[in-house]
Amino acid sequence: MSKSRPPYVPFKLDPTGTMHLVVTSLAAIPSELDDALTEVELWTVAHAGPGIPAPAAEHLHPFRSPTELLAQLESRLGRAAIGLRLYAIGSEAFIWDAANIAVAAGLGRGEIFTYQAGPKLRRVYCTHCRTMIEDVAVNVVPCPACKASLFVRDHFSRRLAAFMGVRVDAEVPGEIPAPEEFTT
Amino acid sequence: MKLAIAAIEILSPGLKRFTLAGAELPWAGPGSHLVLQIPGPARVWKNAYSLTAAPNGAYRIIVRRVGHSRGGSAWLHDHASLGDVLEVEAPQNFFNPPRSAKRHLLLSAGIGITPFLAYLQIPGLAYELHHCCKPEEADAFQALLPPGANAVLHTSRDAFNLHELMAKQKLDTHLSVCGPDSFMNIAVTAAKSLGWPMAKIHLESFGGATGGKPFSVRLERSGIAVDVGPEESLLDALEAAGLTPSCLCRGGACGECRMGVLSGTPEHHDHYLSDAEKASGKFMMICVSRAVTPELVLDF
Repeated sequence: MSKSRPPYVPFKLDPTGTMHLVVTSLAAIPSELDDALTEVELWTVAHAGPGIPAPAAEHLHPFRSPTELLAQLESRLGRAAIGLRLYAIGSEAFIWDAANIAVAAGLGRGEIFTYQAGPKLRRVYCTHCRTMIEDVAVNVVPCPACKASLFVRDHFSRRLAAFMGVRVDAEVPGEIPAPEEFTT
Repeated sequence: MKLAIAAIEILSPGLKRFTLAGAELPWAGPGSHLVLQIPGPARVWKNAYSLTAAPNGAYRIIVRRVGHSRGGSAWLHDHASLGDVLEVEAPQNFFNPPRSAKRHLLLSAGIGITPFLAYLQIPGLAYELHHCCKPEEADAFQALLPPGANAVLHTSRDAFNLHELMAKQKLDTHLSVCGPDSFMNIAVTAAKSLGWPMAKIHLESFGGATGGKPFSVRLERSGIAVDVGPEESLLDALEAAGLTPSCLCRGGACGECRMGVLSGTPEHHDHYLSDAEKASGKFMMICVSRAVTPELVLDF
């Protein structure tokens, strides 16, 4: 793993916590984690059908989108008492968006845990015009705003929760390599 | 540097406030402490005292007269007088208010309130201070608090629900504790059981654990042996023997005086080494820690 990517450790609940809040950008917790997640408050993104999804159980809250979930996270953390541990599971963009909200709410080292899971889609930051491009699956992508063809570097910014995209044909305009799908 | 005693105030039968003055004093932020060199009959004592304030051209400390005094506090209470000049080491700070905290829960007991008296002068600091003290000293401590301080004095353990206070704190709050070891242990145990992460628990200890059972140490590289008496620390004993091991805080907080243990079992009283390091018995902080075994062999 390069130093330009955040390191991730295998998922487990922190036994020193007294309250566990798990948020995920996925519809359900990855099956390999199921056993670890008993007695937690679980927020998912699972929208089937019209209207606002109803809580499936007291401790299970489905949201319509990651954006809606993250919008609720700040106030949830603002009401919480010490002892809460936050676990963010999903795309790198989502888990670092969640981590950044948590840091602003006062959580720190030992209270936030991240776990990358789900499709290998990246949020890409156009370093030329600062546009964010969501859900990118391949390593060469056109910027929808400034039209530059961007090469997605293996360089993740935790602050922006995005990968750096730099113009791929800066040396020879028009020379654009074939895109490759992300595997990590 | 040499500082003169510019003022002595009696706060209670056991508490005196000293103002030390000098020219061009180094700036000292809240949480700083001073190490004073105090003359004794047989040797010089080095004691650390938290600064309660550092106005221009002066440092202020409060000294408790300790029953079984190591030497320093008794001299300051009984012999120090206005104009006396003391050798003082430049202030150090190992108890800065944590910057990432939006709120501070401050817990102190006895003379442990001293660093927090400096904290309370920070403009706009969001804090809640709970101070435990003997009933007969409550008036003296109350008088030290600035007007409108968000502080509660507790003179009885029964009336102070520490657990409840800690459990209701928000996620943006850090905990800072200063007092005798027994008090800090109670506070840290309660905090951990309530899920406080260690990164949000900040401790300042002083003096309390410097005495105990006598023991002897053999210094492997120096090739000498030193006896440590019941009322002196290992660091004191080495300094009395003419050695100059590096040290800063003299309270088990800074990590400067860490020494390797080659044989024997140390008895840890510091707040610096991790639990794993303490269990390994391979290192000790010589300013506060002592020995379980009659002899230690140290890598010095």
